[in-house]
Amino acid sequence: MAMRQTPLTCSGHTRPVVDLAFSGITPYGYFLISACKDGKPMLRQGDTGDWIGTFLGHKGAVWGATLNKDATKAATAAADFTAKVWDAVSGDELMTLAHKHIVKTVDFTQDSNYLLTGGQDKLLRIYDLNKPEAEPKEISGHTSGIKKALWCSEDKQILSADDKTVRLWDHATMTEVKSLNFNMSVSSMEYIPEGEILVITYGRSIAFHSAVSLDPIKSFEAPATINSASLHPEKEFLVAGGEDFKLYKYDYNSGEELESYKGHFGPIHCVRFSPDGELYASGSEDGTLRLWQTVVGKTYGLWKCVLPEDSGELAKPKINFPETAEEELEEIASENSDSIYSSTPEVKA
Amino acid sequence: MMQTPLATPVPVLRLPRGPDGSNRGFAPDGRRAPLKPEVPEVLEPPESREFQEQQARASLRERYLRSLLAMVGRPVCFTLHEGVQVIAHFGATDLDVANFYVSQLQTPIGVQAEALLRCSDIISYTFKP
Repeated sequence: MAMRQTPLTCSGHTRPVVDLAFSGITPYGYFLISACKDGKPMLRQGDTGDWIGTFLGHKGAVWGATLNKDATKAATAAADFTAKVWDAVSGDELMTLAHKHIVKTVDFTQDSNYLLTGGQDKLLRIYDLNKPEAEPKEISGHTSGIKKALWCSEDKQILSADDKTVRLWDHATMTEVKSLNFNMSVSSMEYIPEGEILVITYGRSIAFHSAVSLDPIKSFEAPATINSASLHPEKEFLVAGGEDFKLYKYDYNSGEELESYKGHFGPIHCVRFSPDGELYASGSEDGTLRLWQTVVGKTYGLWKCVLPEDSGELAKPKINFPETAEEELEEIASENSDSIYSSTPEVKA
Repeated sequence: MMQTPLATPVPVLRLPRGPDGSNRGFAPDGRRAPLKPEVPEVLEPPESREFQEQQARASLRERYLRSLLAMVGRPVCFTLHEGVQVIAHFGATDLDVANFYVSQLQTPIGVQAEALLRCSDIISYTFKP
């Protein structure tokens, strides 16, 4: 029986969603943070989209947001010329890092000891989070505003993108190692540590480069201008979204377009796969985030596969009780939630 | 690739919960409940008797709730006062487990299509999962 994708819409933001990021997989599941022009980044449970909290404090549009690996800290980059570090469990603001212009991008190292920032002042800054009063290390070289900056190669190198270039820097020497030039504006960049792959979007192109050498691997053309793309953890699929409001899913190996979805009411600004690859999230000009299943019809998160003879029981009885605390916690959370079993969910896809 | 117009949409349990308009969230009793004693987020030392007892209670309660879920739709034999035994299909319980909603209740005076059994009237019950 053919199943149609049911996207899950996460509402709450009142302005365009311009960035989103997932945490790693933690004992409490994984989490999702969204950056919004309304200045109020939100934290959500990654597999359900349930709102957990809103980080309050920025006085301008938030352009970038990220979580550390275990989702204990969040960082945000804003138009109020600051980057902020937050306690992602309590929602409290931990640090405000003053910059000289709009901050666009933030990234934690794997050990959460350092924060990389970049923005309109064209400088990369590295903050030691254990010494918040100390001045950050600065790397200059970009000739236009930095849109994205990421740690790579086990935090030994830095990748940064401005309007027309992508540059690779050595962390220890703070010098440029290599750079790529583009004719068109670079709209997004994603780094995949396993396999050292860099995903870059510009114009209608979705390009894959080695993160170590910056050498091109392959690229695909989409039917419309693409603003963001993400590669599946197992590198079977990629998803992309942009100016035509649609999401595209491609086979990474063949480049074949597998699925496409309408659903957003505005251009898509960001799209990312979850760390387990089971879903991908998209953020749009329409102020919403949507969660999409990688495998349509699979039971996961809030999506429930109903077999023909299934009467629609919400909780399949478990005969052997799970021993691990993680499973227990996750299952209590999902089974005790208010459940409105609906066979006609909101379907605009 | 066009999706067939006859394809049914994937059902969902519910929609994602949105923000609570009245506060910023991050509920203290929310998602990051304490894990096993090795990673405590509570103030008392993990080895304290109180903490272990709380863990045990939580674990037992969870098992009980799961046993209720396993009963749904199944025939259950209830032992009531005065040695009375009745069989019924279990439907649901309320929040405090004060009443059981059952159907096809076989009583000495006939079969009741739907009924509420007061838990205070039940001495014990058994069922096969």
